Parts: sequence; structure tokens; C-alpha cells
Amino acid sequence: MNTKDMTYSEAIRDAISLKMRTDEDVFMLGEDIGVYGGAFGVSRGLIEEFGPERIRNTPISESGIAGAAVGAALTGMRPILELQFSDFITIATDQIINQAAKIRYMYGGKGKVPMVLRTPGGSGTGAAAQHSQSLEAWMAHIPGLKVVQPSSAYDAKGLLISAIEDDNPVIFYEHKLLYGMKEPVPEDLYRIPLGKAVIKKEGTDVTVIATSVMVHKALEAAKLLEAEGIEVEVLDPRTLVPLDEASIIASVSKTGRVVIVHEAVKRAGFGAEIASVIVESDAFDFLDAPIERLGGKAVPIPYNPELEKHAVPQVSDIVEAVKRTLQRGKEV
Amino acid sequence: MAKEVFMPKLGMTMETGTIMKWLVEEGDSVTAGDIILEVMTNKINIEVEAYETGTMLKILYEEGEEVPVNQVIAYIGEKGEKVGESANPKSEKDSTSEEPIEIREAKIEQKADKPRATPSARKLAREHDISLSVISGTGPKGRIHRKDVETYLANQVSPSNAPIDDISTAKELTSAAAKAIKVKGMRKVIGDRMQQSFSEAPHVTLHSEVDMSEAMRLRGQLLPMIEQKTGLRLSYTEIILKAVGVTLRDHPMVNATLVKDEIHLSAQIDIGLAVSHPNGLLVPVIREVDKLGLADLTEQSKTIAQAAREGKLLPNQLQGGTFTVSNLGMYRVDQFTPIINLPETAILGVGQIKERPVGVNGEIVLRPMMALSLSFDHRTIDGAPAAAFLTQLVETLENPAHLLI
Repeated sequence: MNTKDMTYSEAIRDAISLKMRTDEDVFMLGEDIGVYGGAFGVSRGLIEEFGPERIRNTPISESGIAGAAVGAALTGMRPILELQFSDFITIATDQIINQAAKIRYMYGGKGKVPMVLRTPGGSGTGAAAQHSQSLEAWMAHIPGLKVVQPSSAYDAKGLLISAIEDDNPVIFYEHKLLYGMKEPVPEDLYRIPLGKAVIKKEGTDVTVIATSVMVHKALEAAKLLEAEGIEVEVLDPRTLVPLDEASIIASVSKTGRVVIVHEAVKRAGFGAEIASVIVESDAFDFLDAPIERLGGKAVPIPYNPELEKHAVPQVSDIVEAVKRTLQRGKEV
Repeated sequence: MAKEVFMPKLGMTMETGTIMKWLVEEGDSVTAGDIILEVMTNKINIEVEAYETGTMLKILYEEGEEVPVNQVIAYIGEKGEKVGESANPKSEKDSTSEEPIEIREAKIEQKADKPRATPSARKLAREHDISLSVISGTGPKGRIHRKDVETYLANQVSPSNAPIDDISTAKELTSAAAKAIKVKGMRKVIGDRMQQSFSEAPHVTLHSEVDMSEAMRLRGQLLPMIEQKTGLRLSYTEIILKAVGVTLRDHPMVNATLVKDEIHLSAQIDIGLAVSHPNGLLVPVIREVDKLGLADLTEQSKTIAQAAREGKLLPNQLQGGTFTVSNLGMYRVDQFTPIINLPETAILGVGQIKERPVGVNGEIVLRPMMALSLSFDHRTIDGAPAAAFLTQLVETLENPAHLLI
């Protein structure tokens, strides 16, 4: 399979193009996704290839976009809708939670909603409190939705293709800081199954379970710790729903120590769910230190760039948390 | 309502007791005051009385098992009554209490000094049937981690000291004349203590030699006087004990005990004296040695050593020492490196007195020399303060007039 260096956003665009070329039911809708190419340029060039019929600009109404997508999906289409910032999912939640997530169940499987909601989350761009949140835990709480958080170009493409082909509504959380990240990605169509975690780096001492942009911070921390002789295993669940519990349990059973890190606010964040899965499982007997959980501070993301950085976990926080589990850090 | 029988806490430092013998069986009727079992702790057998009258309903631990103090070991109640089988540690509670406690409560009550351990450490300990209370944790607040259990296990079973049980069953490997002795009771207590001290405390031993000429002269003068007063013969052991006691006054760190992460400077100078007993080593404690005159000290030292040899010591006579003296001078031992009696900080090993050529003012002369070896716990004190103590002790013995100051 030929590979090509692609950015995260190019890999997403590639997945959309490949599916749209082979499946006429697939189309995109969202604000300014046509000539402008969307808020982060992900759909740039698609309107030239597929035309305005399949790359549909919408009015500024997330509720309207989501409702139109649910309706289209019910009639047999496979819509991909884009919300400019995941913060605006608040406006679309009634359509997502009360319609998209429930219809297949309420009609006994006679209707289904095969739609993908793509939307960027996360801070780090100076976009302030209303454009920087990480709200994935909300969607992960709702039965009937699948929730995906790719952390690399390769994962983004393979996961998006699986999401488009899935017959259920999938919330596909991209990250603003990852759009420019490049890596070799196969040019052909390939799939990464939803519900399969990946070990980004193998290690024996501590498992760091990280999502989205935190995967990269965890890998950086792992490199620093390696110099001190600490072997960190970095696990990226890739999809929160379904969650690959087996891989998490296997890794924790091996290392006996866990650090969970996400950018979303720690309080009631998805890390709490992962920690609970671990202590409820067979891995409990292998735990050799309290689970460390890192997440954003319970504050709206500040506009001040320095404060913005401090509101979410950084590499040094991960290094310290790992050392705490090994009792090599400062006493807390 | 069934009443619990607890493993009694017979002394401040007692953490576990070993059930040596049950004198009643399940189903037997017992009367308050009856002796129902024998417990061994700190090398002493204690007979435990029943505090209730009724039927022995359930015995939870068999003979030979080691049980943490205040743990339920049996239930006494009315015939036919059902009791729970769980043996959960209970909160600190005097076993003499008459207040009935529901078994359900016992389950949820948390013991204040319940060991902290990670699930992984607990699992490993469970697999090897080890009580967590015997393992020292290296984590925050003494938390026991898997590594601590592994360290404990590694120290327990090394190829060179395979369990004696195994030796006795592997008969084909041993000659017909070989005899296997099961490690239990006092031997086990001594073994466990020594192992714990040796692996836990970083030992350093300092050696020095004392010219005992003056001490011998002093003994010669005092011997008849003390014999007349007490009927007992003053030995060098008492002179050394006295010198150690007086010297310790100036070195409180050497007279300290290490308790978890605190160094406790002892208010008194209570010196343990290593005494040999047919079943093993005993260390009875003589209180406030520095304040005793040599006649009183001789009396106390002889009495307590005699009690030790006859196995008549009381538990409190074996506890609370702040320093230990081990004298092998009656044997042809020049010097040896003693193992610290934890939680004490140091122990003094005393060798034989022997005439040796030494240099005095440019001449070689023969002097009665005696080796002193001070082993100390390097976690608590450093080499210099330990050396300062040993130096002052040597000087005191070489000029026993110091004892009068």
C-alpha cells in the first residue's frame, strides 16, 4: 500500500473523498464548508470535486444542521456534518440526544441514523472559553451514540471511514492543535474498527492512558522518563464508545500502575469512567499504586495564553504523575 | 449472642501472637476463668482464660497459626448458636471488655493500624499466605507495595535456607542419621526478628579495644563488698552495663528507638542483656541502669538472668529496652558483630578479656585487653556520633572513676 505524508486534516479530507467517490449516499453539510473549506480548512477543495449538491453550505444553525442530518440519515443517506467548534454542540444536542441516539431503538431497528458529526474540540489556540472546550464526556454518557477521538492522521482516516460506514450516529471529535500534524498515511481506503485501542508505545512500569492531543504529551513525557529508566506504556483508547476495556485491563495488569490524562475538565471527565473500569475489573488485583487522573482544571478556558496552558495538563504534569505512582516524586 | 475471643494484646509492642495449643475443642463447654488456649509471643508462652461462660462454638485459627492482636480467634456462645466464620480485624479493643459486639459491626469496623497495602501487594501476600502485618511497607504512610512483599519473600526463602519442612520430607536427600527440627515457637520468633533486623536496618559495626586493667582493679575491690551485701559475685558484665548506662546519658541518639518514621529519644536508659537459654536467645531488660549502684545492678542482673534461664520471665521484662549488651566474653571469642535488637538503635558486643602486647609510652607491655563491637542502625545515627559514644565508653572503662562522677 502506498503511503503519503498527510496532515491530520488532509487525512480526514482523504477519508471523506474516498467514501464520497464510492458511495453516492455520503454527503457533507455544515457552515462555510464549500468554497471557504470550513472553519479549519478540512473540506477545502471538496466542493470543486463533488459540487454544491454534495458539499452543502448551511445557515448558521447547529440545531438545523443536526436535524437535517438526522432526517437525511433516516431516509437512507449517510451525512457527514461539520460543526465549526465542538462548543456549539450545545445547540445541536436535542437533535443528537433525543433523536439521533434514540430512533433506532424506539423503532425496533426499522429506522437507523447512520450519520457522522465531525467537530473540533480542545484548547491551545487562544480561542477563549466558548471555543476551546472538550465536551466528549457528555456524548459518551448517551446510549446510542458512538464517540471517537483520533489522535493522529493515520487513526483519523481509518476511524472516519469506519464511522461513515457505521449504521449508528458517531460523534467524531477532532482536535484543533492536531490538524497540522503530519505522518505517513496509506493512500488507499483502510479501516480502523471502532472500539479498538492502540498501544502507542510499549512499556513495563506505568500505563499512561491518554486521549486526543494528550497522547502526544504522554509520548513526550514517556521519552523524558525513559532517560531516567522508567518504561512508560502509552495507550490511546481512540474511541470512548465503544471502549476497548480488554486492552486497558491487559496493559494495567502488566504494569500495575496507571495515569489517565485527558484535556477535558477532570471533574466528571471520562477519566473517571476509565478508572472505574479498571478497579471493577480483574486488573484491580494488579494495581500497585493509586490511580492518577489528570484533566483540565475546573475553570472556563482562559483567554490569556499563559493561563490557557495552565488550565490543561502539560508534559511536566504527566512526568510528575508517573513518578508519583512509582513513589519517586515529591510526597503529596 | 456469641461472644468473640480475641488474640490478647499482652504488651505494648506485641503485634501478633502464635496459637500454641487449644485446650478446648469446638463443642466443649467453658466457664469464665478456664484456660482455653496457650499463646506464644515475644518468646513467652501465655495461658489465655475465657472471659465468657458457654460453649466453644467455633475456633477460627489452628495451632501454630500466627494471628494479629485483637483479631477474633474463636466464638463462645450458647450451644447450637450459629456464628459467622469471618475473622476480620477489629478496632483496638481490650479483649476483657464485656460489651457484646455484633459480628456484623465487626466486619465494617476499621482497625486503626490496619496495614496499608496495594491490591497487588495484597494478592501476592494472599497467594503466599503471609500476614501483611509482618511486612514493612516502603510507600507513603508505610503503604506496602508488591515490591515490599517480594523483598519479604526473597528474604524468607533463599536457596541456602530452604524451609526445614521440605528437608524432612525429602528423606532420600538426607542421610539416615540426619534429624529435622521444625522451626517454630521461640526459634521462629528469634529467626523472624533477626531476619527483619538484618534486612531492614543498615548495620554498621565499630570495633575498639579496652585496656581492662583499671576495671579489673575496681572489680577486685568491690567483689568482697558486694558479695557481703548481696551474696552475689560482681562480674564484668555488670561493670560494662554500668559503664554503658552512664555513657548513654551523654549520647541520647544511641539510646533511641526508631518507630516508623520517627526517632524516639528514650526517657530512660533500659538496657537489654542477652542471655542464653536452652531454647534460644532471650534479652531481658534492666531498667534505669545508669541510676543503679553496682550492688543493686549485680542483684538485678543476676536475678533476671536466672529467671531467663528458668523460663520465668514476665512479658514486660522482655520489652521496652533502649539498648542491648551481648557478652560472649566467657567464651574464647575475641570479637563479633552483633545484630541490632530492633527498634533499638545499637547493640554492644563484648569479647573475652585476654592479655595482649600493647604499646604504652613507647614500650611493649602485656595488658588485659577486651574488644567492644558496637553495631548501630545507620538510618537513625551516623558513624561519628556512634564512634563518639564508643570512644567515651572505652575511656570510662579504662578510668572507671568516671562512674563515680
